[in-house]
Amino acid sequence: MAIDKDLETILRRVEKPARYIGGEVNMVRKNPDDVSVRIGFAFPDTYEIGMSYMGMQILYNILNKNEKIYCERVFAPASDMEEIMRAKGRKLYTLETFTPVDKLDILGFTLQYEMSYTNILNMMDLGGIPVRRDDRISGNYPLIIAGGPCAFNPEPLADFADAFLIGDGEETLEKVCIAFADAKADCLDRTSLLEKLALIDGVYIPEFYEIEYGENHEISKVNRINDSAPETVTRAIVKDIEKTEFPVKNLVPFIDVVHDRAVVETFRGCTRGCRFCQAGMIYRPVRERTPETIEKLAMEQLDNTGHEELSLLSLSTSDHSQFEPMATGLMGLCKGRNVSLSLPSLRLDSFSFKVLDEIQGYRKSGLTFAPEAGTQRLRDVINKNITEEDIFSATRQAVELGWEHIKLYFMIGLPTETYDDLDGIADIARKIMDINYDVRGRKGGRFRVTVSVSNFVPKPHTPFQWEPQNTAEEFVEKHNYLSTKLRIKGVTFNYHETATSNLEAVFARGDRRCGRVLEEAWKSGCVFDGWTEHFKPELWAQAFENCAAELGFSSGSEMEHFYNYRERSREEILPWDMFNPFVEKSYFVSERNKALKCETTPDCREGCTGCGVNKYTNCFVNCK
Amino acid sequence: MKYIICFKKTGVICYTSHLDILKIFKRSFKRAGIKLAYSQGFNPHPKMGFAQPLSLGYKGYDEYIEFETAADYQDKGPEAILEALRAIMPEGITLVSIKEAPEMKKTLASMTEAAEYEIRIRLGLPLQENARELWKAYMGQETIMALKKQKKKKDLVLVDIKPKIREITFNPKGDVLVINAVLDAGSDSNLSPELLIDTVIETFGIECDRAETEVSRIKLQFKG
Repeated sequence: MAIDKDLETILRRVEKPARYIGGEVNMVRKNPDDVSVRIGFAFPDTYEIGMSYMGMQILYNILNKNEKIYCERVFAPASDMEEIMRAKGRKLYTLETFTPVDKLDILGFTLQYEMSYTNILNMMDLGGIPVRRDDRISGNYPLIIAGGPCAFNPEPLADFADAFLIGDGEETLEKVCIAFADAKADCLDRTSLLEKLALIDGVYIPEFYEIEYGENHEISKVNRINDSAPETVTRAIVKDIEKTEFPVKNLVPFIDVVHDRAVVETFRGCTRGCRFCQAGMIYRPVRERTPETIEKLAMEQLDNTGHEELSLLSLSTSDHSQFEPMATGLMGLCKGRNVSLSLPSLRLDSFSFKVLDEIQGYRKSGLTFAPEAGTQRLRDVINKNITEEDIFSATRQAVELGWEHIKLYFMIGLPTETYDDLDGIADIARKIMDINYDVRGRKGGRFRVTVSVSNFVPKPHTPFQWEPQNTAEEFVEKHNYLSTKLRIKGVTFNYHETATSNLEAVFARGDRRCGRVLEEAWKSGCVFDGWTEHFKPELWAQAFENCAAELGFSSGSEMEHFYNYRERSREEILPWDMFNPFVEKSYFVSERNKALKCETTPDCREGCTGCGVNKYTNCFVNCK
Repeated sequence: MKYIICFKKTGVICYTSHLDILKIFKRSFKRAGIKLAYSQGFNPHPKMGFAQPLSLGYKGYDEYIEFETAADYQDKGPEAILEALRAIMPEGITLVSIKEAPEMKKTLASMTEAAEYEIRIRLGLPLQENARELWKAYMGQETIMALKKQKKKKDLVLVDIKPKIREITFNPKGDVLVINAVLDAGSDSNLSPELLIDTVIETFGIECDRAETEVSRIKLQFKG
């Protein structure tokens, strides 16, 4: 694809211009005049992050296999590029054909994390598209849609998008595109199109619902104002991923991106039932691909991309029912091709050590454990099924096999947490150092332990969805406490930015009113909030303050308290109650009650725990 | 067997770096099913390399890559390798020719001695002087001092680039000044066209936007 001189001079001024040129290996080329519907798949972050996201490759492949559809890619330009584009009046464009996004039929955003929301508004604006839906109705603009894990509570974005896709996107997105093409052919008006879309499983049309709020700010009523709109929106599900299209001609970026490798999704869903984990709830049930299919997909991908690394994608690699033969098979195949195999999130049993020792050889990277909490009591509360004995015996094995770096992941601010639980974090780190001294002698070699602590963010559709989050002060105090406790030779302590976590929680559990704050923050200059160097907490605080009165709150901090720092009652209508994730609300309630009593719930492979998913679909699809 | 491929890098792919192109070739060999020889050791890497890195943004019309294959492709002839690669190369990288280089002991990089560039500077104001006058004014200087960034320290030092300019002509064409220059290139002595452009702009007091300056490498010259 040739580009114009004007764009060339822009490219010569910016950092990493190859982010903006497209043309990568396996990019799909179509004549836009030959298709019925053109969709831009927009990732609201930089090229390097978006290109590492497998979901984009999956949907790009499925949509483009359909000859009626042309799916192109759009990423958020970095600030230097944005500045020049705005100065020159250049609209945000697709990488496939350099088409300005406002000329597309559909622009679809993927919602991977809340901190990318300002980028969504910014990208629409850069594309010459009014951000508010109300301002678009009279004009000829693309249909704005959004999907992904955050779409399980899309309410903070309800005033900006025309439709949301909730659940697995493989089938829904194609249906939406085709419905759009049909509506275009039939010259349907906007409302008629939306009514058709509302009939598709997993599609939510926000303007078909009106929300009423009570004196106490809580939602008092949800009114359905269009008969096509369902009472609750049921998530879309791909019942058997073995039979679902998976890409083998992946796009291969020219430049280094975060993850630049062949990837095969081995299964979807997780059975462990950690109570803080949204993915563990909204991706239920477990649906596997067979080892034969996984192997075949991996080899075809390697042939078509020339990648030098293969990785497996799932919520917990070693939980695949045929993990051992599969890993052994893939190791053999990779070795013969000079391809390195990477197996993330392994459970550290003896087989995993054998595999890791073989694939990492002399260059052993760090070993990672995620105990998530410092004491057995708190691990029982969150239902994280890992004991100190597990960690210490695995550590001993690892040290004996030559590993020199152990990484530990914890969360702070979990429900019922006390400072004893923080002491537990330091105890685990110290005991791991002791194990190393025990094996390697008094000097201990170059052995290191890294403790990474993230801040607990309560998420919708989890047993902890009603919980208050720690305030910034509480988090800071805990960080300081841990910094002192973790002053141990050989131990490094990292923690996550507090203000970001608080904001993430507000938008994760926010309602439509939060959209006002989002727009205000974006207008005042907030973008790339997930990037420490771009995050502007003072502008966000100001945005809450500026919007409070209009939304019926006395101050910005009252508003933040309402959304984040109070315990919500089990009777309250939650903004995401109108979305059905298949797991029943009563299950979340019972899991929460068990949590508060420190009772665990076993992995549901050992017996059904009654979450409700099997009322809608089969569990353990293709599992042996 | 060792081979050398001559290729062009034009179009938007010019906005990829030297290391990106190395990776693109590495993957292209894999995709084309051509097995390269790998180095020994803990971190084996395929035996391949370029004659001379090409800066990001430059077009290249006479670029070279050398590589060693593990399997023997001689029965099919080197043309078969070229065809297999051509079928899958990304747009903008045009493979021109291939030859076997069994007797080559030294790397192409160590054989490179000079490079010919065409530089197009977009002028804010047209120049008064003609080609000859420009040449005289520029090459008539006793020394041509340029500020060069040191590799490790990142400090700027003044260097005389005149001895590294082998040939140069200036052709003012309306609002574009076209410079054709043969400059030292390679490990012994090297001159980046960027430094040359700095000095030209300074010598003639040119008002221009560096982002509109285009550089193409027309030819690479090798020792012997």
